[in-house]
Amino acid sequence: MGIFSVYIEEGCITCDACEEAAPEVFEVTEDTCFIKSDVRLDGGFDRNDSKSGLKTEVVQTYSDDILDAADGCPVDVIIVVEAKADEAEVEETITEVEVEVPIAAEAPQVSMEIEGLDAFLSAGDRTLNIFFGSQSGNSEQLASNFAKRAGDYGLEGIVHDMDGFDIKKMASMRRVAIVCSTWGEGEMPDNAEALWQAASSKDAPDMSGMAFSVLSLGDTSYELFCQSGKDWDGRLEQLGANRVAPRVDCDVDYEAMATEWAQEALTMLSAVDDSGNLHEELIESIREMADGGASVADGEDGFIVPDLTSDEIEVQLNVFRYDPHEKTSGTDTWLCSLPGHLTLLESLRAIQRTHDGSLCFTDGSPHDPNTAIVVNGRITLPGVSRIETLSNGRPGALNLHLEPLPGYDVIRDLCVDFGALTKKREEASLWHVSRTREAIRSEQGTLIGPMDPSEAIALHKMSDPFGAQVLHSCSDSIAYSQSYLGPSVCLDLWVKRTDPRTSTKRAEEIDTLLGGANAILAETDLAPIGRQPLAGKEIQSALSDAKTRALEHNGYNGRHGKHVWWYAWTMKSSGRVNDTVLYRQVLGPLGLLSNLTSGVTARMLTGFTRTGGKMVNDILALVAPPAGIGKMPRQFNKRVDDHYEVVSIFNSLDSRF
Amino acid sequence: MPIRFAYHPGNVAHSSAPEVDETMRAACRSLDIELIDMPGATSCGAGILGQANRRLQITLNARTMSIAEDLGMDIITPCATTAATLFEDLMMLKADSSLMGEVNRTLEKTTGRVLEGSIKIRHLLQVILEEIGIENFSKKVKNPIPSPLAPYYGPNLQQVGLIGGDDVFDPWYMESVIEAGGGDPIRYASRTSSAGTPGIFSEEQTVLRQSANILSDAKTMGARMMISACTLSHGVLDIYQGKASRSTGLNTNLPVIHFCEYVAFLTGNFPTRLAMLKTRVAVIGD
Repeated sequence: MGIFSVYIEEGCITCDACEEAAPEVFEVTEDTCFIKSDVRLDGGFDRNDSKSGLKTEVVQTYSDDILDAADGCPVDVIIVVEAKADEAEVEETITEVEVEVPIAAEAPQVSMEIEGLDAFLSAGDRTLNIFFGSQSGNSEQLASNFAKRAGDYGLEGIVHDMDGFDIKKMASMRRVAIVCSTWGEGEMPDNAEALWQAASSKDAPDMSGMAFSVLSLGDTSYELFCQSGKDWDGRLEQLGANRVAPRVDCDVDYEAMATEWAQEALTMLSAVDDSGNLHEELIESIREMADGGASVADGEDGFIVPDLTSDEIEVQLNVFRYDPHEKTSGTDTWLCSLPGHLTLLESLRAIQRTHDGSLCFTDGSPHDPNTAIVVNGRITLPGVSRIETLSNGRPGALNLHLEPLPGYDVIRDLCVDFGALTKKREEASLWHVSRTREAIRSEQGTLIGPMDPSEAIALHKMSDPFGAQVLHSCSDSIAYSQSYLGPSVCLDLWVKRTDPRTSTKRAEEIDTLLGGANAILAETDLAPIGRQPLAGKEIQSALSDAKTRALEHNGYNGRHGKHVWWYAWTMKSSGRVNDTVLYRQVLGPLGLLSNLTSGVTARMLTGFTRTGGKMVNDILALVAPPAGIGKMPRQFNKRVDDHYEVVSIFNSLDSRF
Repeated sequence: MPIRFAYHPGNVAHSSAPEVDETMRAACRSLDIELIDMPGATSCGAGILGQANRRLQITLNARTMSIAEDLGMDIITPCATTAATLFEDLMMLKADSSLMGEVNRTLEKTTGRVLEGSIKIRHLLQVILEEIGIENFSKKVKNPIPSPLAPYYGPNLQQVGLIGGDDVFDPWYMESVIEAGGGDPIRYASRTSSAGTPGIFSEEQTVLRQSANILSDAKTMGARMMISACTLSHGVLDIYQGKASRSTGLNTNLPVIHFCEYVAFLTGNFPTRLAMLKTRVAVIGD
């Protein structure tokens, strides 16, 4: 068998190997390889996607070279098409086809079909009447679902309960779908009995103007399987109605079969005009229209899921890499064109699959907190973050920096070891000890401890919704303090401390834990926690309350306590904070001395890189030590206007200061 | 026609950072922003007062905001911490009518004032981007600073709702100002991270590591100077940087100026100070 044609698939790496093997046939361009025009029957110059045949003399002369080129292609994109027995006179045949079937002639025809369909679907009455005969509700539910889908077929679905429906009115309808279950030994459901009696009587009206289809529900374990549906199907036919889609009999697992029936029945009934005539020529067009060009997917409940795809976005992915063997770290950058609807997790999977199998990240379900990473500073669950939502509106390619969660040891790349958190949780003894309290007996006879709803809601609000491992990373200081228990452990402690079910003794123990040097007072700044979307203001507020409780428990002793106390004191004194007082009271003589020797004081005095200010103030700091530390601090603050108001507010709300 | 704002200079501009107040006033003059002083305004509490008594901090800030309401103006401040604290307290009051009622009862009883909650809190950076416009701003630049410059935002200003249209974690507002000022904005990971400033007295070692990381990060990316939107963080990043370097072993040697100083220099104010700063930028470094 000789060669008939040769073409190039996508993926050419332009290595020139084919051109070297068969320069008369292949020509490597900047980004792919073309089959030369003078060897092809169609005279084209491209990758030959159309698989146009090669000229006879080319095949005779260069077959071996072409096969060598295909064998030598490192990415196997050169595809050789072998000749079949009836392709001997291929040159003439192809020419004829091209002449007889001009492409241009087809276009108007397609256009006309579409225009015709639109006109058809918008003309006249487009009602689809869906009757259900239901004992347990399944048929009713299906009828309701199909009515909602009818719109995709240009129909207006109306659901009718068979119970009490007039058979004459039914006979006047042009499109009817029946969904009916079978009850007992082949009996109609209760709500269908009366209509069935009317339909099966001698006086039943003629239904020759009606197009119909029946979906029958039943159970194969019964002798008369789907008898009711069969009865309706047969009787409507006897009365002259036109069965446009065959009946489908479903067993107890009916969902898949019912969905298939609906697709067919809705298509066929849609092709029926308001006179009851079936337009077969429109059936395929309606089917394609309803399929939406295969851009939609079937939902589990038989609904059509909306198309959620988005255009491709240019993305620069900068991914933190760490090699534990070499102990080296850095950043790898991929320039990708990714569909906007892709999640970050899917993107990482794609990169791992197609570009770098060594890329390491934690895979899991979309809401799994173990998968969390940092994306441009924002702690993110990559399984729920679509690429298109990560853009901040800047023009140009989306630039994403992916890093592992802070506060943990990195295992490799984006994978971290959550062991540090486990250890801190053990360290903090996060158990709950209940106090003895009143209980009430429930209607079932069990004893339960009641809780005030407002207290329960407050506790719930404080709870961490996205997992302890994520909250632990929301602190900006956690990565810089080995001993700090972290916000997650502190929040857990605080929730237990505020839980009214906690015993008094345990609450005191928690106070001591929270007031310790490694607990909430070790958090240098709560603002970063509040701004992380996976933590939020409620968590920040709860941790702030925990801080207040810890400070009170410690009697505002220690540097942290003094800082807060004297800050408040100076505000009451003048309405303004006095940093001179703060330095003096919080750091004390030793602290000030430390600043003096460490260069901090000198830097403050000289205003090293800061600008401006009057030197006289710096000199003042020198002549009146230790007060006046700072580049230009005031010894005494001028009071704000109406300072008495400030004092009055203090006295009204907190007379401690 | 100038834009008018009630002016809150921040927590320490009256004391250890007067350069912020000086340059804020000069910058605003150049940008046609009229600052109306609020001599009765108190410190915002910076979240520190709130650790002692949150209701007290909210009530004092409600008093300050009611002063601005009486003037019929929004508040402008050069301090990120003040902007964030006032904003958070205002949002809390607006979201909780019973809290607003209780605070107003205290305010009325002690001062005769009432807060309606009708004002907004703005940082100078936001006003430049959202009210003046970056194109208009670039026309007012008289002394460009063509250097690689690292913007430092900190976490306080970068909160949803506070900083308008900017991205909270991947901001571009200050980068736009730097570009308009002829500079090359340096993108580095920690530009919205906390320098740990509230903990400088009590958790000094942690704060030194935090601030050293920010400075080193910016320096590694090629910055020749840092511009801070936060007055308090500015102090830590500048004053403690030598100690931070010795504590961590990182290279933190980088001039840090406040955003107001930067805008004032760009718009032609304090040419002598700018000359000194340029000299320092040229001298400091490796």
